[in-house]
Amino acid sequence: MIPRPSTRIARDLSRALSTPRLFLGIGLLLLQSTACDRSATIGKPPGYLQVDIETSPLSIDPRFATDAASSRIAEMVFDSMVKIDAHGNFVGDLAESIERPSDTSLVFHLRRDARFSDGSPLTARDVKYTYDFVTDPANLSPKLRGLAPIESISAIDDYTVGVVTRHPYAPALETAMLGVVPSGAPGIAGSFGAPIGSGPFRLVSFARDEKLVLERNPFAPRPEAAAGGIVFKIVPDPTVRALELAEGVCDFAENNVEPYLLGYLKARPELAVVESPGSAYQYLAFNFRDPRLRDIRVRRAIAYAIDRDAIAASMLGGTARVASGMLTPENWAYNADVTRYNYDPVAARRLLDQAGYPAGRDGMRALALVFKASPEGRRLGEAIQAMLRSVGIALTVRSNEFATFYSDIQRGNFDLTSLQWVGINDPHHYYMVFDSKMTPPSGLNRGSYSNPEIDRLVELGDLTLDVAQRRAIYAQVQQLAADDLPYVSLWWQDNVAVMSRRLQGFVPFPNGSLRSFSNLILAGGESPSIAAAAGPNE
Amino acid sequence: MTGYFVRRILALIPVALGVTTLTFALIHLVPGDPVIAMLGDNASATDIVGLRHAMGLDRPLGIQYLAFLNGLAHGDLGQSISAHAPVATLILEHFPATLELAGAGLLTAILLAFPLGIIAGVNPGGAADLGAMGFAILGISIPHIYLGPLLMIVLSLDLGWLPLTGRGGLSHLVLPAITLGTALAAILARMLRQSLAQVRGADYVRTARSKGLSETGALIRHGLRNALTPVVTLLGLEAGSLLAGSVVTEMIFSWPGLGRLMINAIGARDYPLVEGCVLAYALTYVMVNMATDFVYCAIDPRIRLS
Repeated sequence: MIPRPSTRIARDLSRALSTPRLFLGIGLLLLQSTACDRSATIGKPPGYLQVDIETSPLSIDPRFATDAASSRIAEMVFDSMVKIDAHGNFVGDLAESIERPSDTSLVFHLRRDARFSDGSPLTARDVKYTYDFVTDPANLSPKLRGLAPIESISAIDDYTVGVVTRHPYAPALETAMLGVVPSGAPGIAGSFGAPIGSGPFRLVSFARDEKLVLERNPFAPRPEAAAGGIVFKIVPDPTVRALELAEGVCDFAENNVEPYLLGYLKARPELAVVESPGSAYQYLAFNFRDPRLRDIRVRRAIAYAIDRDAIAASMLGGTARVASGMLTPENWAYNADVTRYNYDPVAARRLLDQAGYPAGRDGMRALALVFKASPEGRRLGEAIQAMLRSVGIALTVRSNEFATFYSDIQRGNFDLTSLQWVGINDPHHYYMVFDSKMTPPSGLNRGSYSNPEIDRLVELGDLTLDVAQRRAIYAQVQQLAADDLPYVSLWWQDNVAVMSRRLQGFVPFPNGSLRSFSNLILAGGESPSIAAAAGPNE
Repeated sequence: MTGYFVRRILALIPVALGVTTLTFALIHLVPGDPVIAMLGDNASATDIVGLRHAMGLDRPLGIQYLAFLNGLAHGDLGQSISAHAPVATLILEHFPATLELAGAGLLTAILLAFPLGIIAGVNPGGAADLGAMGFAILGISIPHIYLGPLLMIVLSLDLGWLPLTGRGGLSHLVLPAITLGTALAAILARMLRQSLAQVRGADYVRTARSKGLSETGALIRHGLRNALTPVVTLLGLEAGSLLAGSVVTEMIFSWPGLGRLMINAIGARDYPLVEGCVLAYALTYVMVNMATDFVYCAIDPRIRLS
C-alpha cells in the first residue's frame, strides 16, 4: 500500500531537513544558555560596516565582473549611464536625461558633477572608451555579447553620448548599465587591481579569500553621518555567517543566511531581518531533446505533481512566493492571467495515464527520469523526487559539484534540472532562454526548447519600442509559456537581509543590489529605520 | 648526512613530476570548462572559441602538458585563469596562512598529546588514564566541521575570549589551531601511552628504578626519549592529514589559506592554479617527512641517515 502522498512528502521533507537542524540545534542551545551582546572588535575601522559575503570576488572591474560578489561591489565603485531603482525601473545614474531621436539611436546627457576618485571629471570620452574596450573582441570581455546590439557609440561632446543600435532594440537601456572606467584604463592583465570609478566608494584594499575594503570616494557626494566605508569579509561557511551576525561582528548579510537560521536571528533584539519581494526566479527545466518530455501531458503532469507551497513553506522557511512565470508581479510586463498548476496529484496521474504511462501494481509507471543537481540543489531534487514518486514517476537525483553539474546542463545531459535566474528585469529574458536560436553553445536555452510562435513573439518584442504594444506581446508570451511549459515555474525568492539595528536607511532592491549603502548610516541608537520594501512600479 | 640530504632533495623531482602529471590528467578528465566558468553561458560560441584559443586551451592535451612542464622547469607555474594573476603569486599569498595554521595545529597537538599521553602511560588503567584516553577517543571522533563552530559558540560568542574568524594576531589563531590539532593530539596521545607502556618493562627503566628513581621519574627521564621514535614517525605521517584537515578548517574559520584557494580553483576549473596548489601541498608533505627523518637523529643518536 502506498502512503498518502501528502503525509509521505511531508515526512520526506522533514527528514531531508532534520540533520543540519539537529546539528545546529545543539550548538544554538549552548549559545542561548548565556546569550550576550558583544561589539565588534576585529579588523574594521571605526564608522565602517562589515558585510559578510560567501565567495571572494573575482574582478570588480565592471568590464569583466560577472560573478555575483563582483557585480554587487562593482556597482558601488563604478557609475553607469543608467541604473535600476528599487522598483525595477531604469533611472539615470550618470545620465541626467535620455533622448530617443530615432528607433535606432539614443542620446545620453551626462551630469557634469561626476568625478572619479582621483578628482578628474568623468566625461563622454570615458564612456566611449569603456564601451570600445568591451566591444573589442581582443580584450575578451565577458560583457561583449550583451553589447552586441550596439553598432556604434560616440562622444558627441564632453557630456553627451550617442548610441546607435543595429536595429530597433527595445531593451537598449540594459546596455547602458555598464560601469564606466577612466579613458585609457588598462585591461585585466596582471592582477585584481581595478581601475578607479566615480561611484560612492573606492577600492582601498583586497586580500583574496579574506576581505575587500571600500572607503568613500572623496569626490562623490556623501550624506551626513553616512558610513565611512565597507569591509566585505569573505565567510564561506553559512553557520559562521550567522554566528558573526549574532556576535555583532558582521553588520549586514543578504541572501546568504540559511532559512532555518532566520528564526534564531530574528529572536535577537539587536538584529533586524528584512524580507522583501525578490525577482530571483527558480524554475524546473525540461530537456526537449528527450521525446518523453516533448509530450505536453508529461510536462503538465509533472507541474501538477509538485507541491510548491509545501516546498516554499518547509524548505525555504516561507522566504519565497510561488511563481506563475518568469516575471514577478512587480514587473511592468507581468501578466497574472496565465494557466496555473496548483498541486493536483489526481490530475497528474490522469495526464500520465493519457500519455501512455499506466501505473503498475506498485503504483509506478514506465517513466524514469534523471534530475541533475549541484550539491546545493540536492535537497530540492529529493523533494521533487518524493512528489513525483507519489504519481508514479521514478526520479533519480544525481548531484555533482557545481562545475561538473553545470557542464552537464550546458551539454544537455539531463532530463530535469532546477536553476535560478537572478536579476531578470526586462522581458527580453524570454528571448534569451526560450528562443530556438539561443540553444547552447551560444545561448541560455539549455533545454533546446523550440516553439515557432514564441520565437516570433520574443523577436517582435525586442523590436517593438512602444511600451503598451510590448506589454501586449509579452502578455501573450507569458500565457504561451505557461501553457506549453518549457519550464515549470517554481518560486520567486524573497530577498532576506539580516542586519544590525544600528544600520539606518537600507533600501531593499528586488535584484538584491546594495546600492542604498551609499546612504546608509551606522547609528548608535536602537530604533531601526528601514525603508519600505519595493512596491509595484506602476 | 649531506649526501642523504642531497639525495632526498633530488628525489623531490620525480615526486613533483608524478604529482603534476596525475593532477594534470585528473583535472582534465573531470567535466567542466574554465572558459564557460569565466564567460558564463551567455557567451557566444565565437567568444568561447576566442578565449579558449587565447588561453591555449584549444591545443592538444599533450602539447598543453609539455608547455606546462616547460614552464615548471623554468620556475613558471603559469597564469591563473579565474584570478587573473600568476599562480606563483597566488600561492605565495596564501601559503603562509596555511603554514601558520598547520604549524599552530601541530603545536597544539603536541602540547595536548604529551601531557595526556604521559599521564595515561605512567599509570595505565588508572583514573587519569581513563580520563585522558576518553578525551582522546572524543578528539578523534569529532569532525572539524562540528568542533569548529562549537568552539566558536563557547569560547567566542558565549565567553567572548577569542575572535570568531579571520586571520590576524595570535588570538585569531587559537580556535582554528585547536580545531585542527585536536584529532592529531588524540592520535599522538594514544600512541605515546602505548609506547610508554612498552618501555616500562625495559631493562634500562628497571635499572633506573633500582638506582632509586621513582616509577614516574624513571619512566620520564629514561623511558620517554625511547618511547618517542614511533610517536615522531606517526607525527610525520599524520602531518599530511593536518594539511588535508586545514582545507576544512580554513573554510570554517574564513582563513585565507591555500586550501580555500584550491577549492575555489577546482570549482572554476582553473587548471594551472589547481596544479600549482597540489604541487605545493605535495612538496610540503615530502619536506615534512624529510624533517621527520632529521628529528629521529636528534632524539635517538643510534639512528644514522645514509
